[in-house]
Amino acid sequence: MSTNSIKIFAGSSHRHLAGLVATRLGIELSKVGVYKYSNQETAVTIGESVRDEDVYIIQSGSGEINDNLMELLIMINACKTASARRITAVIPCFPYARQDKKDKSRAPISAKLVANMLTVAGADHVITMDLHASQIQGFFNVPVDNLYAEPCTLKYIKECIPDYRSAVIVSPDAGGAKRATSIADRLDLDFALIHKERKKANEVSRMVLVGDVRGKVAILVDDMADTCGTLGLAAKTLVDNGATRVYAIVTHGILSGKAVSVINNSVLEKIVVTNTVPHESKKVECPKLDTIDISATLAEAIRRTHNGESVSYLFSHVPE
Amino acid sequence: MRRTKLFAGSSHRELATLVAQRLGHPLSNVALQAFANRETSVHIGVSVRNEDVFIIQSGSDTVNDHLMELLIMVNACKSASASRITAVIPYFPYSKQCKRKKERGAIAAKLVANMLSVAGVDHIITMDLHASQMQGFFNRPIDNLVAEPCIIRWVRDNVPEWQDAVVVSKNAGGVKRVTSMADKLGINFALIHTDRNPHRQEAWSTLSSRAPSRVPSDAEDDEEDEDEEDEEDEVVAGAEAAVEQANLHHRLASVNEVSADDAVTAGSGAPSDVSKARETKAVVVADESSGESCDRRVKQVQRLSLVGSVRGRVALLVDDMIDKPHSFLQAAEQLMQCGAKAVYILATHGILSGNALQLIETSPMVRRVVVTNTFPVSAAKRQLTSKLTVIDVSSVFSEAIRRTHNGESVSFLFDHAI
Repeated sequence: MSTNSIKIFAGSSHRHLAGLVATRLGIELSKVGVYKYSNQETAVTIGESVRDEDVYIIQSGSGEINDNLMELLIMINACKTASARRITAVIPCFPYARQDKKDKSRAPISAKLVANMLTVAGADHVITMDLHASQIQGFFNVPVDNLYAEPCTLKYIKECIPDYRSAVIVSPDAGGAKRATSIADRLDLDFALIHKERKKANEVSRMVLVGDVRGKVAILVDDMADTCGTLGLAAKTLVDNGATRVYAIVTHGILSGKAVSVINNSVLEKIVVTNTVPHESKKVECPKLDTIDISATLAEAIRRTHNGESVSYLFSHVPE
Repeated sequence: MRRTKLFAGSSHRELATLVAQRLGHPLSNVALQAFANRETSVHIGVSVRNEDVFIIQSGSDTVNDHLMELLIMVNACKSASASRITAVIPYFPYSKQCKRKKERGAIAAKLVANMLSVAGVDHIITMDLHASQMQGFFNRPIDNLVAEPCIIRWVRDNVPEWQDAVVVSKNAGGVKRVTSMADKLGINFALIHTDRNPHRQEAWSTLSSRAPSRVPSDAEDDEEDEDEEDEEDEVVAGAEAAVEQANLHHRLASVNEVSADDAVTAGSGAPSDVSKARETKAVVVADESSGESCDRRVKQVQRLSLVGSVRGRVALLVDDMIDKPHSFLQAAEQLMQCGAKAVYILATHGILSGNALQLIETSPMVRRVVVTNTFPVSAAKRQLTSKLTVIDVSSVFSEAIRRTHNGESVSFLFDHAI
């Protein structure tokens, strides 16, 4: 007898987060076997019936990104062919989100490709968080819920940054200005902007601060911290301009390459990331790293999606 | 070739270079890198506007990365207004996962086909698909080339006793492939049948408790792989058995007549017994596909039996791919026990993962392993054994590309080595 109940499957990229979400929902993760054949092809066995059930597959775009993406696609496809009623891909950190435009001749729009691949695999719905550009929602022909880490970020600032009332919210680049102003407005704080000249991907040359941070706490806000070159330089620019302390709050802490050593050697007081991407191992090496748990938001989004309730509440509130 | 661009993915540049040389057409520039977060980055270095684009990318040991790379390359060319994009995929990845062989399994090969279409591929050229039915997965034209003519040519040139050899399939699923080769060489064929003790008792819990571990141990993996392979083959056999059986009987019977003195193991001396064996197998197949047969990792007692005779002859063990060689080595052992003079292993795709080549090198049963260069076999791997021969099939691909570009028929390539 099918009950059209929630089934949560965890891909291998971030089982910890999936576990937290399942605990929040008061259910257990459903059984799935994910392994690789000797020729390195990914194979998946769905361990229980999903016929006529509401399936959620949690897989983040991190680590071995192509392997994890392929795994997600095969899991979706396996549930599809096993007659699931609806399949929702829960992708806290959307892979290839930065390849979202044809910024030079013959550049691929890989984010669109990933969107198409998810659709063709059989995803009926996508839940993600802080897309690099919200336009990516338009790449899909299925509904996409782009959740925000902002409410959780606000809560963190209020609770964990002592003198936040005199702080300045800083965007490390022009593209993030909207995100930063939104937070500044909500907290009723000032706002500054760093303009950077970028020569090539992951490399930054010169930075100019627009706005005043002298004698204040500066809070850098961005959607993604990868190699952290930008953040390190931005923090230095802020201190050079008289900021007393510099925090960085970032939704997706990918922290690849030399990120950990860059952070350790930077003037950053703290770097705060959400757990959309696993970073437990990096926390050991990097005492400045702090985590915001967003599993509650994901869990509530799943619950509301399942029950057909509105998720807009989550855009401005942290669920209890 | 005018208005044509050839691109090579990073999986198998050696083959791509050979193809380009044979076509006398240079490979075009493409920058393939990974970002710091390991996302794949592609930059097409030349204009492809209104060009006929061919992208050569095979499977490899990092199959997901290379598949993604291919998809992004296709997508980049598509959005750069290429007039037609042909993906040349010598070894089609995920081709073994081409049917739902267990409850709730994914048809990953179909998924890959869909992904290629959605990325913007207009045409696909590949070789020796695991099951030719996979051609139906695509809603684009697909040319499934065959390595058989090249392998046959190699046999004629390099196996001294080939006229008296026997082509052997190590399972029922490969019989079609083997009979076709036997016909073209004008020699006999035989078949190895795997009997299984159906003690499928291990509970589902074994698998689920193992589930979180991503890479199972080698031993388990092997078993899994073999099981999968054979189960798969059995299903194929089940489907085709009815059609093939009459024909098969006839041929097997004649084989048995020729060598009536040979005590063929496991009572396959007469056609009626053969048919009984096959009926039993059909029942097993039905069991597997209908029941809750989640325990695919069962410990099985395998008993091989040879149908046909190889006494005093050279045996050519043929299959479409060789990954872990255990089933091949078991079959080779069986063949030697049945009096074969020597065993050659012939396979199109030489995946040869893990310690496959060491096992082959140390096995006294195998004289030679022959594969084609559809799948990259690194120089380091080749050094591990002196028994490995890699046949170059780049000419088949270059000719297929030339003919596709010029709108000529490619059927010629199905029967002729070039």
